[in-house]
Amino acid sequence: MSKHPIAEEELMAYLDGELSLDRAATAAEHLKKCRECQSVAGDLQSVSRRLMAWQVEPSEDSRITRGVTAVLDERAQKIDAANVGRRGWRDALKMPRLPRWVWGSGIGVASLAVLLLILGVFFFPRAQYAPTQLAQQRIGGLLVETHKTVAPQPAGLPELKEPEAGVTIVTKSGTDEQDGRTGGGGEHERGSSTVPAGPMIVRTAGLTLTTKEFDKTRTGLEEILKRHGGYVGQLNVTAPSGSGRTLNATLRVPADQLDATMAELKKLGRVDVESQSGEEVTQQYVDLVARLANARNSEQRLTEILRHRTGELSDVLAVEVEIERVRGEIEQMEAERKNLAHQVDFATLNATLTEEYENQLQAVPVSTFTRIRNAAVDGYSTVTGSVVSLVLFLFSYGPVLLLWGGLLFFAVRIAWRRWRRRNA
Amino acid sequence: MVSDEALMLEFQRGSREAFEELFARYCGPLYGFFRRRLESQERAEDLAQETFLAVIRATARYEPRALVRTYLYGIALKLVAAERRKQKNTPANQSDAEPTTDDATEEALWVRQALGKLDAGEREILMLREYEQLSYSEIAELLCLPVNTVRSRLFRSRMALKGYLEPEMKSHGAVATSGAMGNTAVRTAEVRPEKDEE
Repeated sequence: MSKHPIAEEELMAYLDGELSLDRAATAAEHLKKCRECQSVAGDLQSVSRRLMAWQVEPSEDSRITRGVTAVLDERAQKIDAANVGRRGWRDALKMPRLPRWVWGSGIGVASLAVLLLILGVFFFPRAQYAPTQLAQQRIGGLLVETHKTVAPQPAGLPELKEPEAGVTIVTKSGTDEQDGRTGGGGEHERGSSTVPAGPMIVRTAGLTLTTKEFDKTRTGLEEILKRHGGYVGQLNVTAPSGSGRTLNATLRVPADQLDATMAELKKLGRVDVESQSGEEVTQQYVDLVARLANARNSEQRLTEILRHRTGELSDVLAVEVEIERVRGEIEQMEAERKNLAHQVDFATLNATLTEEYENQLQAVPVSTFTRIRNAAVDGYSTVTGSVVSLVLFLFSYGPVLLLWGGLLFFAVRIAWRRWRRRNA
Repeated sequence: MVSDEALMLEFQRGSREAFEELFARYCGPLYGFFRRRLESQERAEDLAQETFLAVIRATARYEPRALVRTYLYGIALKLVAAERRKQKNTPANQSDAEPTTDDATEEALWVRQALGKLDAGEREILMLREYEQLSYSEIAELLCLPVNTVRSRLFRSRMALKGYLEPEMKSHGAVATSGAMGNTAVRTAEVRPEKDEE
């Protein structure tokens, strides 16, 4: 423990006027009494006094002043010129003078927005729109939309002068309409192609049941389906470990039996979800029937032409090709019509049957070795997957990242150098 | 009396008179700063001028975060460092710069000689305190050191200088006629060369 209440450095700071007030009071008091400290203080003051002996010779002020004055004059001229220029366009636009930070912030925000826009264009996935080729055709006052491409008219098709035939087109209202051609013999296999009396509705229902007795419920479901004249469109049963079995089935039930079928199915277990929907396809069906009738009429006229007219072989071949095309269309439309009618006749019932899971004690636990092996396999898969993902990422975005990294690097370097120069 | 900082802000707004006032206040001290650290009077004047020119050029970016005095000596320190680097790269020019010390007293020569023996860092602190009259905190800010370090080094350098000066006083007439700190003109004692300069 020193006998001095203040250190020598503090004594020096006191003499330099750099000591805090309370310590300075202590130092002053101690200095009055302590000879040793008085000696140190004397030495310090002596050094300072002796340093003052080195005085530099006076400078040529004019030499320094001359250069500074010249620069000041030049600066004043520049400021005047700049002020004149600035006043000019600002006065013209009546704009207030904004501080530099406002301009800087504005430019910064604009740059950021542009960067984000560009990054967005590059990095965000683009929405995939499947090209839809819709062809609209107006037939007898009905608008028909079709996705298929109509084959072009064969170039060599001769200008046919067929006997006039009346073509009947079925409209939405069900009335017949003449297309201006007169003559008989238009009716062709109307049978199933007639316009329905009431609305045609494709019914779809969904039912999710939970049951404790899975097997019994499944048997019950099949029995109900059989009783009501339905059939199974698709059926999947899954039995994952650690949870109950699940049955997903698409059932087709006669439309008029749907409500009764559902009522009976609901008794098989606890109903979790039930839904029903209906889509009216009357207009679609009518349009299809009209197009079908027109196609059949065309086929009939072409057949008549082929039967009664004589001409060159090329003309006959062209007519046959056209007949073949029309027949293809008729078959396709007929299939569509039957499918639509079937959808109307048989409702779709999406049934899901879930078994209430009761956990079982695992008799033979998985061995430790097997678990380690499985973990190792999983780890290997994860590593390879991540490496492949990284490579894919680098290939996908590497060039863009490289480009922007390079640009930003130079921008940051320029900014850094300017900042350093400014603070130099 | 208008403060240095107020004058600087006025100059920033375009007042030439404010700068002239600042120039009048600091022209002499800055010249002294350079003159004590460089051998050539001309270079000292050039660098003093260069300091003011740097201030003029950087006026638009000036912010009153520190004292103008610290700001000026900060520039001056950087200029001195650059000058020393330049001199180191062109050693042939060093001999051309014989300082004008005709009117230097014997006491001044001893002081320069003793200062030359000090460690470069400690000498800088001592000179900033004694000749530029900067406070401990200003020196600490300029040299990027803690204040306590500045105080310790200052004490050490003063004590060392006292030790160097005492024998000189005793051997009173053994000093050569001319010389400058950092030059070999002083013959009685070894003057630390500029290699230890920062």
